[in-house]
Amino acid sequence: MFETVVDPTVGPPASSEGGQPTLAARPGSLSGLRLGLLANTKRNAEQFVQQVGEQLAERYGVRTVLARKKPNIVETAPEQMMAELADQCDIVVTGVGDCGSCSASAVADGLLLEQAGIPVVVICSDAFTVSADAMAELRGAPGYQYVTTPHPVANLTADGIHDRAAAAIPAIVALLTRPAMAASA
Amino acid sequence: MTAPVADPVAQAKAAIEYCYEQGWTDGLPVVPAAAADIEACLATTDHDAGEIIGSQPHLRRSITVAQAAANAIMAGCKPEYFPVVLAAWTALNLERASGGAWQSTSGPAPLIIVNGGVRSRLGVNYRGGVFGPGFRANATIARAIGLMVRNGYGVRPQELEQATQGLPGRWSICIGEHEELSPWEPLSVVGGVPPGTDAVSAMLIRTCEYVDNRSTADAEAVLSDLADTLARIGAYVGGPHSSGGLVLGPEHAQLLADAGYSRADAQQWLFEHAVRDRADLVAAGKGEHAGTDVGGPPFAMMPSARDIPIIVAGAANAAMSMVFRPFGWAAWSGRTVPVEWRDAGCAADCAAGPSVRETEQ
Repeated sequence: MFETVVDPTVGPPASSEGGQPTLAARPGSLSGLRLGLLANTKRNAEQFVQQVGEQLAERYGVRTVLARKKPNIVETAPEQMMAELADQCDIVVTGVGDCGSCSASAVADGLLLEQAGIPVVVICSDAFTVSADAMAELRGAPGYQYVTTPHPVANLTADGIHDRAAAAIPAIVALLTRPAMAASA
Repeated sequence: MTAPVADPVAQAKAAIEYCYEQGWTDGLPVVPAAAADIEACLATTDHDAGEIIGSQPHLRRSITVAQAAANAIMAGCKPEYFPVVLAAWTALNLERASGGAWQSTSGPAPLIIVNGGVRSRLGVNYRGGVFGPGFRANATIARAIGLMVRNGYGVRPQELEQATQGLPGRWSICIGEHEELSPWEPLSVVGGVPPGTDAVSAMLIRTCEYVDNRSTADAEAVLSDLADTLARIGAYVGGPHSSGGLVLGPEHAQLLADAGYSRADAQQWLFEHAVRDRADLVAAGKGEHAGTDVGGPPFAMMPSARDIPIIVAGAANAAMSMVFRPFGWAAWSGRTVPVEWRDAGCAADCAAGPSVRETEQ
């Protein structure tokens, strides 16, 4: 009856960039793998991924070979930074998605690296899973799995970051070694 | 959709309900847009229907002029408001609205400021009750921006938009500057546009808070009162400084001007006096940038004199003003956008181009 009402959501054709992302194949073991860390500019993000790197090194024998901080919290990391990570690393840990736009953006970073063949673990705080899930769906990967840590992250002390990273390690290892899609997706 | 065909009121209500069902509204009823409405909007501008006027690459969404028109109509705009909507959108994109602001936990609102003769021609209120409600142009131009974000970018509350609380009046803050009672040049001139030009400036803000001071005729006393609110610690989110601007009521503006203050003088005074003892920041758990020298010189809460935008609006019936809080650490790009009218097909009284001076200035 109301087919003459203009649909305000219909815009220009969506960019076909990326399309449906293919997720990277998972390695059987982490031992000896080269780890890349990609932090955003949220407070404590660098410290958090750094701590994850140290604990993965201690307990699983990975080597952190590259640590980068992306300049813009909203956008995906610059192409050159992505290429560097894809060239020099076997696995990547990125985060911490702890705000409205950056949680979504962290998932987008993860999916881009997955497409380049790098298994990634995205870390988001549990307050922003809706944004993170919305981005996964937007990027053609509904059900993409990431690791959550309780919100907030910004006010953690060094000890707090250590404990949070330790708590997240089992899930991080699981996502790096097992398929990164929800069973229902 | 079982509205009786014979009853136009029932049909209109059913069409509005249809828009709700599609998820197109901000909670209030929208005006269903028809193709003819889009055409009427497009007739006011030289921009093509398919021109992309904004994008969020990280969301893979862009918005076209035609979409802007549909959302403007839905917001309740008359087609002749459309060039102002486009200018407001452009002005917002000069701020941080092209980044992740629409998704932010801060939930910032556009503050849209209109200068020039367009205020009178379109009925953009700049006098009493300037923050609304009650004036169609003010209410609907601001609302159009909100619907463009929602429907054009797909940024919806509790989904891609993650505002913790948002703020009262989001998508409804569009004011004219009261140029006639302002002792100073229009904000648009500060923003680099010739006097008399129809123009829009925009900022993203987190709230407004009033400063009511009808008690004194002393300019420094009024400035001191304003500086106290500007320096409020709660509005400071950490970092090198806070942010703040003023919508001065005409009485406060005139009192300052009568005491010899230019806009820049007032900005300088406020910058120098909107300070806090470092110990106050430390006591509030926000001492990171104040340093450990709690006995040291006071901490400047404003970024710079220039970064305290001052606008004059409202009625000259009581001495009160509003402090507003720009989102993030930057106040305003300092760039005003001229309203682009279509020369052909526009009534003579709305044919003011960017370089045309209004005689009523």
